Amino acid sequence: MRVVSAGAVGRRLVPHALPLVILVIVIVFSIAQPAFIKPENLIGIVRQMTLVGIMAVCTTFVIMTGGVDLSVGPVLATAGLVSFFTMQAGMPLPIVLATGLGLGLAIGVVNGAIVAFLQLPPIIVTLATLSMVRGAALILGGPDLHLIRDEPAFTFIGTGTLFGLPFSIILFVAVTLAMIFVQRRTPLGLLVAAIGDNERAAYLSGHKIAATKVTIYGISGLGAALAGIVQSSQVHTAAATYGPFGTELDVIAAVVLGGTSIAGGSGSVARTVVGLLFLGVVSNGMNILNVPIDIQLMAKGAIIVVALGLGELK
Amino acid sequence: MSVRPTTLALLLFFGTTFLFFSLFAPRFATASNMENLMSGFSFLAILAIGQSFPILLRGIDLSIGAIVALAGMVAFDLTLIFHVPGYLVLPAALAAATLAGTLNGALIVYLRLQPFIATLATLAVYRGLVYSISGRQLVRGLSTTPITDRWITDLETYYDLGSAVGLSRFIKFPWFPLSFFVMLALLAVFQSVLITTRFGRDIYAVGGNLEAARLAGINTRRTTIAAYAICGFCAGIAALILVARLTTSTEALGTGMELTAIAAAVIGGVSLSGGVGSVFGPAIGAFLLGVILLGLTLLGVSQFVQQILTGAILLGAIGYDRLLVVRRQRRTAVFLAERA
Amino acid sequence: MVEPPLIRGIGLGKVYGNLVALDDADLSVRAGEVRALIGSNGAGKSTLIKILTGAVMPTAGSVEMAGEPVRLGSPPEMIRRGVACIYQHSNLAPAMPVLDNIFLGRQPTLGFGFVDRKRQRREARELMQRFAIDLDLDATVAALPTVKQKEVEILKALALDAKVILMDEPTGWLAAADVRKLHASIRALKARGVGIVYISHMLDEIFAVCDTMTVMRDGHVIAEVDVADMDRPRLVALMVGDDLAKSSAGASLAKRIPRGNGIVRLRCRGLGKRGLFRDISFDVNAGEIFCITGLIGSKRTELIRSLFGADRFDSGSVEFDGKPAVFRNPSQAIGASIGFVPEDRHRDGLMLGLSVAENLVMSALGRYRRFGLLDRRKMADASRRSVSSLDIQPPDGDKQVRLLSGGNQQKVLIGKWLSLSPRLIILDEPTVGVDVGAKAEIYAMLRAERDRGAAVLVVSSDIEEVMTIADRVAIMVAGKLTAVHDADKVTRAEIIRDIGESAA
Repeated sequence: MRVVSAGAVGRRLVPHALPLVILVIVIVFSIAQPAFIKPENLIGIVRQMTLVGIMAVCTTFVIMTGGVDLSVGPVLATAGLVSFFTMQAGMPLPIVLATGLGLGLAIGVVNGAIVAFLQLPPIIVTLATLSMVRGAALILGGPDLHLIRDEPAFTFIGTGTLFGLPFSIILFVAVTLAMIFVQRRTPLGLLVAAIGDNERAAYLSGHKIAATKVTIYGISGLGAALAGIVQSSQVHTAAATYGPFGTELDVIAAVVLGGTSIAGGSGSVARTVVGLLFLGVVSNGMNILNVPIDIQLMAKGAIIVVALGLGELK
Repeated sequence: MSVRPTTLALLLFFGTTFLFFSLFAPRFATASNMENLMSGFSFLAILAIGQSFPILLRGIDLSIGAIVALAGMVAFDLTLIFHVPGYLVLPAALAAATLAGTLNGALIVYLRLQPFIATLATLAVYRGLVYSISGRQLVRGLSTTPITDRWITDLETYYDLGSAVGLSRFIKFPWFPLSFFVMLALLAVFQSVLITTRFGRDIYAVGGNLEAARLAGINTRRTTIAAYAICGFCAGIAALILVARLTTSTEALGTGMELTAIAAAVIGGVSLSGGVGSVFGPAIGAFLLGVILLGLTLLGVSQFVQQILTGAILLGAIGYDRLLVVRRQRRTAVFLAERA
Repeated sequence: MVEPPLIRGIGLGKVYGNLVALDDADLSVRAGEVRALIGSNGAGKSTLIKILTGAVMPTAGSVEMAGEPVRLGSPPEMIRRGVACIYQHSNLAPAMPVLDNIFLGRQPTLGFGFVDRKRQRREARELMQRFAIDLDLDATVAALPTVKQKEVEILKALALDAKVILMDEPTGWLAAADVRKLHASIRALKARGVGIVYISHMLDEIFAVCDTMTVMRDGHVIAEVDVADMDRPRLVALMVGDDLAKSSAGASLAKRIPRGNGIVRLRCRGLGKRGLFRDISFDVNAGEIFCITGLIGSKRTELIRSLFGADRFDSGSVEFDGKPAVFRNPSQAIGASIGFVPEDRHRDGLMLGLSVAENLVMSALGRYRRFGLLDRRKMADASRRSVSSLDIQPPDGDKQVRLLSGGNQQKVLIGKWLSLSPRLIILDEPTVGVDVGAKAEIYAMLRAERDRGAAVLVVSSDIEEVMTIADRVAIMVAGKLTAVHDADKVTRAEIIRDIGESAA
């Protein structure tokens, strides 16, 4: 029923001034630097945020249930590497992608299983897997870059264009739409919201909490793996060092800026996209205005504090 | 305070690991390797000691890596650009670090931000600040100029205790780095602060049962801010040790150290659910990581395998902690049964 | 009396949003007096206590100590004035040693913030000696059995040199022998001129240790009497809200159908759980409302949670529709067509941040699944039907449950199960914190379920409610089922007598 979902979306977005703020920023930047509003630049903004975007969108469910996935960086690297090696072994593209994505999914499922069945704190569990997966990636690929050559199909993922848009953007939009669809139209989406709101009540309503957690950590791992494949395709290389320390924090920052509480509870994929757009617009605008990197970093931190701090105060 | 089973298990594990590598890893039980261990992990132990305070309060500080860089850069600038004498540089750098920690605490207390979010934000802020004050960028040529101020470089001193007490006549005794003693001093000070002062007791009370602490009239806000300030202060000390060793500082100093420090604290038995742990455990935790990493290196195990093992140890540590909790709950159930 | 009371709350009120938790309540304690504070859950006792400890800021009224007004809403202020509280839930720092907990927040210091541990230890020992309490001061609180933890809380109050000690259900977790020990300490305190407010649901305790009592109901003080002037049946009647004016209406009008249609739906034999309840046997038939009543703390909630698979039994057997039924989790119980309405709807029942429609379908997601997707249209239709048949106000399925009144929230919670047409529905205190109108509607819903042929199992402490809806009444006292009556053949007085005859 359209009325229901539209109402639900409205309810979730109304208290949320972020879209308006984005609009204001866009206007300000456009006046200060007309190049900002050009279509190429706007596409550039989205293109810049595809990697973090895919991961943030896919990890939103985890954060909605009060968890966190710190292991996305190494998973990203590993997926790229595995794709590289399967390509080298002469596998066709579908198998290459399935291997890369399957590995990410598997790591996510392991994270989820440890969190759900052993009831250990997600921050430490995924910190541990962060270290372990990075180690495994380094064993697999060593510290060097691996050049991906003569793989036009694979390269297309990150650099090709379709209908005049970069394919990576189309991919990001598709993933986002898929996740929004999952959230609004599947039992899983409702279940995630229910667990985040009240895990005890969800259990007493007959829901399998552990299975849900395993699934959403799996999705998070899958998202990181997809991001890894896109990155390797974009830069024509795979390396164990991709997705360096800090990647996971960027991802989390986008999700929480969207208004998803790190303590669990309210949140949505659509909001994460708003958070991403906000970060993307701000950093692109500052780039265009030649704001130095140091000020950009400080601005990013200050924005998180102000946005969330004001939200808490009211 | 009685020794908790976690601490005992940790010491036992540390001892076993140490013994294992002494027996099987070539050149592990040598003076030079012990020097490596002490100089290479004392600053990590210091960071872990600091990190214990936020975690004891059910919080976390993700910004300590950036604070390390900040304090390092303050020392760098003051020495090389402004030629401030070292005896003033040291307190200034520490003050900057402590201030940064205090700001973390203030954000958490007054804006009611989740510690994870607040320190994630300040991580970016402090790192940005480091770039903007970086003397390496502001003044041409400074990046290759080493710091020579004795006050700072003397932090990287080794003491031949073996000769001093005459042990060197019998075995080759390691030279002790000053950073190790600094670590021991901090450990002694903060462990006794936790145990013997009212502030220390308040930390456990606030972390263990916030509502009880509030109702007992404890100033929970001040306690929280102080805990984060201490964490910042320890990051400052660690920064100075690193700067002394490198005789310079970089914008990337301390990157990723927050996660290692958190890992050491958790391995050291500080519970993420607050109110449980000491600063002794995290120090041991840091050196346990050191022993394992150095030992495995000497065994010829790749550095990459070590990373996997580090993760496994971390999982083992929280798994063990969880086991103790479950067991305690079972004991309670049995007690209830007996009484019926 | 010439001396002013040690502490006196005058006209205290507390309003949360549109909920009146406490209205114009007075409470006073004199030196050497033990005053019982009695009332059902939600009567306002805890709010009153928290105002006196400074933990809650009242919206009306004032507090005086020894005739002198005090600053409200400040725990340190009340501690300074010698008001200590032993809360229902542990108020200790679990990982700290006993000694530190006793002096939590006010350790004697040597200066520079260093704790004077010698003095601490000396004072603690003196106190233990004086009140014949024996504790290992260095043991970690978490490692102590519950009775010892309560003793720590008492010592903590004593160390404060408290003039007034407020005890919120201090015996909730204690065995009989330990209760007697606690009472000995209370008498010792009384002899030293300490004033005590004692909250308990246990009649024996009230008669054993209290001098005066204040009875509360729905945020009001409804009686203030000396214990000596009160007898057991009258007290039970007061506690369970036996209001004669009300009882003549409604209750007897409804048709009683003891044993329903004669088919046993739920058969329990010898159910036991260590430390909670034992040897519980009863049948619930299809087409009847079976109430289990008793005082709070008689472990009824624990029993029905286990029936629903949220906890486990240690012994006994359950048959559902003639087949053995052991549910390892709620999901299995729901699969067998059992519904469960928990007592605390905010903690265990509702997703407050989700919409009415979403809450209504929460236990039946399988029904709205089409090709693995959520059929939002069907969900909306179903919720619209539920909203109108349950008369949920405002009739808007998209509204956040948080924004509804207590009565409407409860209707959502019950309605969630009704749409499943369960064969057995279990309800724990189904009308706590619900207004009179919604109460009647909920009763009508339960009767409709019964008439449909469902078995309805209700746990209720409200005698009025039990007399209104029950077809059969079981009485549970201290973890044992002591009697089962047909509701049309038992009088209110008999039930009250059964409840009052607690096996101490």
